Amino acid sequence: MPTADGSNVESLSPGDLRAEFEVDLQPSASSSQSVGARTRGPRAEIVEEISLAMAGSLNLRRCVLQLLTAVRPEIADWAMVVLTNPRTGALSLYGGDDPAATGKASRRSVASQALDRILTTGRTELLHVSLDTAAADGLASMVATKVLREQAARLRPVDVLGLGLTARGVTLGALVVVRGQGRGFSEDAVALAEAVASRASLALDSARLYEQRSRVAAALQASLVPAALPAVPGVDVAARYRPAIEQLDIGGDFYDMFGAEDDWLAVLGDVCGKGVDAAVLTGRARQSLRTAAHFERRPGALLSAFNTVFYEDTSDRFITLVCVRLKPAPDGRSADVEIAVAGHAGPVVVRADGRAEQLEIEGTVAGVLPDVDYPATTIRLEQGDALLLFTDGVEEARGEDGFYGLDRLLALLSEYAGAGADAICGAVEQDVVEHLDGRSHDDIALLAISCGGPTG
Amino acid sequence: MTEPTAQTEPAEPTGPADLSQPLATFEAALAAVDTSAAIGVVDDLLVAGVEPVVVLTDVVAAAQRNVGARWQRGDWTVAAEHAATAVAAAATEAVARHARLTPVTRGKALVACAEREWHALPAMIIDCALRADGWDTTLLGASTPPLRLGQYLQDLGPDAVAVSCSMLGALPTTRRFIEASTTAGIPIIVGGAAFGPDDRRARALGATAWAADAPSAVEAARALPAVVPAAAPLPDEAVAEQAALELSHRELMVRLLADWQLDPELEIAEDAVQQLLHAVWAGLLTGDPRAVPQTAGWVAEILRYRGESPEKVTALGELLRTCLRDYPLAQSFIEDSWPTGDRVLRIGAD
Repeated sequence: MPTADGSNVESLSPGDLRAEFEVDLQPSASSSQSVGARTRGPRAEIVEEISLAMAGSLNLRRCVLQLLTAVRPEIADWAMVVLTNPRTGALSLYGGDDPAATGKASRRSVASQALDRILTTGRTELLHVSLDTAAADGLASMVATKVLREQAARLRPVDVLGLGLTARGVTLGALVVVRGQGRGFSEDAVALAEAVASRASLALDSARLYEQRSRVAAALQASLVPAALPAVPGVDVAARYRPAIEQLDIGGDFYDMFGAEDDWLAVLGDVCGKGVDAAVLTGRARQSLRTAAHFERRPGALLSAFNTVFYEDTSDRFITLVCVRLKPAPDGRSADVEIAVAGHAGPVVVRADGRAEQLEIEGTVAGVLPDVDYPATTIRLEQGDALLLFTDGVEEARGEDGFYGLDRLLALLSEYAGAGADAICGAVEQDVVEHLDGRSHDDIALLAISCGGPTG
Repeated sequence: MTEPTAQTEPAEPTGPADLSQPLATFEAALAAVDTSAAIGVVDDLLVAGVEPVVVLTDVVAAAQRNVGARWQRGDWTVAAEHAATAVAAAATEAVARHARLTPVTRGKALVACAEREWHALPAMIIDCALRADGWDTTLLGASTPPLRLGQYLQDLGPDAVAVSCSMLGALPTTRRFIEASTTAGIPIIVGGAAFGPDDRRARALGATAWAADAPSAVEAARALPAVVPAAAPLPDEAVAEQAALELSHRELMVRLLADWQLDPELEIAEDAVQQLLHAVWAGLLTGDPRAVPQTAGWVAEILRYRGESPEKVTALGELLRTCLRDYPLAQSFIEDSWPTGDRVLRIGAD
């Protein structure tokens, strides 16, 4: 049975502590049962309320905030949460006077204190702070930093209760609650606090598990979301991306643009499939294209090289692509464009005067045949002309009146002649999503290039 | 690039600078769809030490109000309005680049547009203003689906959420956002034209705070509590009626448009009828029936600029009354607050 360590003996009441252990340290389960049986009404409601509040969040820090806010004032006058990092052994401290405050402490700094025992065994400890010694000394055994001890001491505390936060067989940390003069923890109050701690532990553990997964996902995802577009002199570029599973932020469509000075490449593609599996493939495709472009900048030859490699690499998957090489004139008033496609819809050219037409250009889907030649088409964009690259999520967006289709797209684009790349992308995105009217959709990617910047 | 410390240096408090000249230059750049000129205006102001939030409020947002007015008056097409707005967005991004030089001194804030809200610029402006005030902000773009917001709420665990909503039709998903945010205990600020002139609709929907503009959003964000309780449920009867109206929205649109018979050349009939039905939704969800006469006044104004008779607005009121027979609460809004006769003219004439 743990006892208070030597340095704190004076400030505690060792006899009381031992008595509390014997009386109070029932297993949590039986304690919460007794709460339910003995006290219906307000006290059971608090447990319910706190459980519900914490269930609303899967974020660890928000969960801790919910707990620290909810325990006051009914359970405690002052509260803090300690969570252990199983890898480093460091302690994260939350709360105190300000529930949003955070701090750190090392596990070594609490060695052989009451807090250390709680974190090891998960068992409740109740300390009575004797009135004739400095309260801060009495708190030392449970409250890990000086600042927090001083805060708690201002309450002139009588009782400090430390509760293990144990869920699914692991003690994640501790909840330390303090009560001021005249309202020490009765046996019932300890049982109630234990019931709260045991519910809170489950929520905190779920949040901890979610956060671990979420960190892994975020790190992988970061390499798969479309990269920011470069600033291309004399040319105005914009893009939009709406994955089928919108909350994932990634999907089977992708776009990329890279180059320097007067020679730029833009690619937009669609890997068969949706979601994470497709997204992983887009990452590889994007990287292959960038590498290939280092050696070959002609769109047709670039697609040929990509096709061969992609075919050898993943014979069961295919990908459609449109590849555009852009050479803005030095005066920024025009740009020569060379285009090749692999099984992808030709881009739409929107002339400054309002003519909008799809380029007629064909090429085999990449990844199904070992050797393919891709013909290229060239056009010239003059001041105010724009080129829109898009994936089939646009045409095939199915609304109440059927597919969105090319005709709607062309009609819309001719209204946006000269409006600039960003306005074009925004208008198409809005029109397509409104056409869907809440229905599910395929991945949607748009990339617009407008020449000479937008013109009125 | 300016030194990050340059702007935190307490420069002479110059009082409210007169920004009418830069505003005029900025408006000319929007009209000419000249992105580099627009960015030049805001860059010059920032270099001269004008606070980012002042540039956003007194130049970008002020100019944007005129852009909306020009469409309303029929001077500009929707495409011209969008082109100008894209230029304003590029200028806001320039202010944001400047704002990102200031250190993060506050918590995390998530800024989003409600689903069906396509005006991305106000959210960009709020994002930029909060970043300039030291928040670590994350901006979700136009029309954010509730699932995506929910994902970010859990992944980021923000200290504050700010939602921009200028379209009345986006208020139902704004309410979803409020539920998602407050269920996780996260305080939420709302703002935008759909909330009207005061905090009545925001409070009714359960938001933690309402902000009229970027400076008040910054102020409201500073005063937010760390944790809020879950928003209370909305009145059941009104919610049920709004849901029924949403389900029948297409039929109602088709019927009202067919009966109203506005000149199709004007290309505004659909917008007008849509906005009015959305105003009814807003009235139901927020218990604020003012959305209906306000929208009727807006319709009267766009019709007046296009040479249509104000009687068309009276006629539309009659049609709505008939169409909404099966929706008693909605019908009462039309009965009680539809502007008639002189009132239509008065509203329509500013």
